[in-house]
Amino acid sequence: MSIPAITLSRLHFAWPGSPPLLQIDRFELGAGERLFLAGASGSGKSTLLGLIAGITPCQDGEITVLGERMDPARPARRDAIRASQLGVIFQLFNLVPYLSPLENVLLPLQFSADRAARLRAFADSPEDEARRLLAVLGLEGDLLHRASTALSVGQQQRVAAARALIGRPGLVIADEPTSALDHDARDAFLSLLTRECEAAGTALLFVSHDRSLAGRFDRMIALDTLNRASVNA
Amino acid sequence: MRLPLLTLAWKSLANRGVSVGLTVLSIVLSVVLFLGVEKIRTGVRDSFNSTISDTDLIVGARGGALNLLLYSVFRLGDPTANMGWDSYELIASAPDVEWAVPISLGDSHRGYRVVGTTTDYFRHYRYGRSQPLGFAAGRAFDGVYEVVLGAETARQLDYGLGDEILLSHGVGEVSFAEHSGHEFEIVGILAPTGTPVDRSVHVSLQGLEMVHVGWDTGAPPSAREAHDDADDRALTPDSVTAVLVGVSSPIRVLSLQRQINTYGGEALSAVMPGVALSQLWEVIGAAEIAFKAISLLVVIVGLSGILTALSAGLNERRREMAVLRATGARPRDVFALLILEAASIAAAGALIGIALTQVGFALLTGQVRARYGMDLGGAVGLTELYVLLVVTLAGAALGAWPAWRAQRNALADGLSIRL
Repeated sequence: MSIPAITLSRLHFAWPGSPPLLQIDRFELGAGERLFLAGASGSGKSTLLGLIAGITPCQDGEITVLGERMDPARPARRDAIRASQLGVIFQLFNLVPYLSPLENVLLPLQFSADRAARLRAFADSPEDEARRLLAVLGLEGDLLHRASTALSVGQQQRVAAARALIGRPGLVIADEPTSALDHDARDAFLSLLTRECEAAGTALLFVSHDRSLAGRFDRMIALDTLNRASVNA
Repeated sequence: MRLPLLTLAWKSLANRGVSVGLTVLSIVLSVVLFLGVEKIRTGVRDSFNSTISDTDLIVGARGGALNLLLYSVFRLGDPTANMGWDSYELIASAPDVEWAVPISLGDSHRGYRVVGTTTDYFRHYRYGRSQPLGFAAGRAFDGVYEVVLGAETARQLDYGLGDEILLSHGVGEVSFAEHSGHEFEIVGILAPTGTPVDRSVHVSLQGLEMVHVGWDTGAPPSAREAHDDADDRALTPDSVTAVLVGVSSPIRVLSLQRQINTYGGEALSAVMPGVALSQLWEVIGAAEIAFKAISLLVVIVGLSGILTALSAGLNERRREMAVLRATGARPRDVFALLILEAASIAAAGALIGIALTQVGFALLTGQVRARYGMDLGGAVGLTELYVLLVVTLAGAALGAWPAWRAQRNALADGLSIRL
């Protein structure tokens, strides 16, 4: 487990016709490490997450995710790495509305045979593992088969966490996952998320503007200090 | 629990019940229209094609082949001229001729055309797949004043055996010149055939001759004159309208046809029913193409609803697409998802449309067969399979545009969708 979850080197990025948004000389997230990345909205954090997730193509520099270079990889390869090794949690609207919570959790296994195979090595069946994750996150019973849109925001975020964690990926990226939750729900959600990441040995890149949450993580970095583009701006 | 893209597509469609349902409905209706037109078209064609069988040649006065076929077999239109009795006798006695049935037209009974013929007509006339005429009740005419009705004539006019009817001069529905004083007794009613035979009234040539005695001037004779004349007449007609001919061997048909067409004694036309029918289809073909084109256009209009249904929701679904991308979906998965949705809508419409058409025609087929003698039922065939395939593929093709837009959005949106 010595391969870092993320390594960025001399990363430069600008949207077409815009000034440079990201200039990161060096950044590393260790295997299984849980990092709080502080950043205000508009600081380029979503773009950074898109680059790491392999959805936004890299323009200049090196991005290595779990030992695989993303920057020179073809889009299909980046999609395959993401499907197998990443979990993503958004701020809101994480669920596919026409799928039940259980189906939402199983969705990543559909797009990656690797992930499904990995899961079968330690779990009886995908469904058992999905139910176990959901139960750990406090979601059980007929809730799993209800319409996803009928769930509360807090429940939806927990389903999204279970989906990000299914099949024990190497890295979970969370983009302001708690900012729509109230104080109690936020604390509960963070505890569950960090505990499950630890249990699965999954690295966590948690992005938020709310620095009061930083104490729950191994380490905190502000995107401003990392990103020379914002210093120059 | 597996979630292939097709399952995702179906769940997505089910989630948007009403708008998807309406799109499916428009496709269902267009498919029903298309198949309905198609079934009626082929039904009419089959019914025409099965009207006459095993008759090798139809002979009449010189004229167009189609015209001869229409008036002699389909009882449509009027004969241009008659042919002489001697010509009939000559044909009947020709070496290659197995049978020759004369028919004489021109009279009617309450709008149903009277066919003067011989009892050979019941023996040799064939329809469909060489099916002979059968009697539902009674027997063939024997006496001069006996008549055999087609199935529909008897049913529509509510006649039974033993009833007596009068013939009218001319073929109009309302006739002002009845052959009064000549009552014909109904001695037979034919079984339904689904051909114009059902709408005919059959009498012997002698009977027809009898009612026309004294009509040589074209006007009704006085009663006394007619009866006086009749007694000393041989009752052999001078002429007939057409002759149906069966030839002993198929290879003799062409040479016999040529002999008749070049016969010096009288200007005659001999036509092969199949050839004349194909002329008919050439005439009708254009109208058929027009019908087909219209119903095809309706299907296209029905399918275009797919564009609306899928395009309308595209913006609201950007978030969903981003979530799918984040969980590992490739852009082409997003593309395929929308194509599968489009194809599923089209396939559902086609399947329901085919099923409805089958059920509808199964319910109607009894009535239609009794009334028009057309067989509209029938199992699901190649046409239906073809419709299902083409409609589904066309739906998928129509889905390509919204699918391409969704894929492009998904690529542009990346992980950051602002709502």
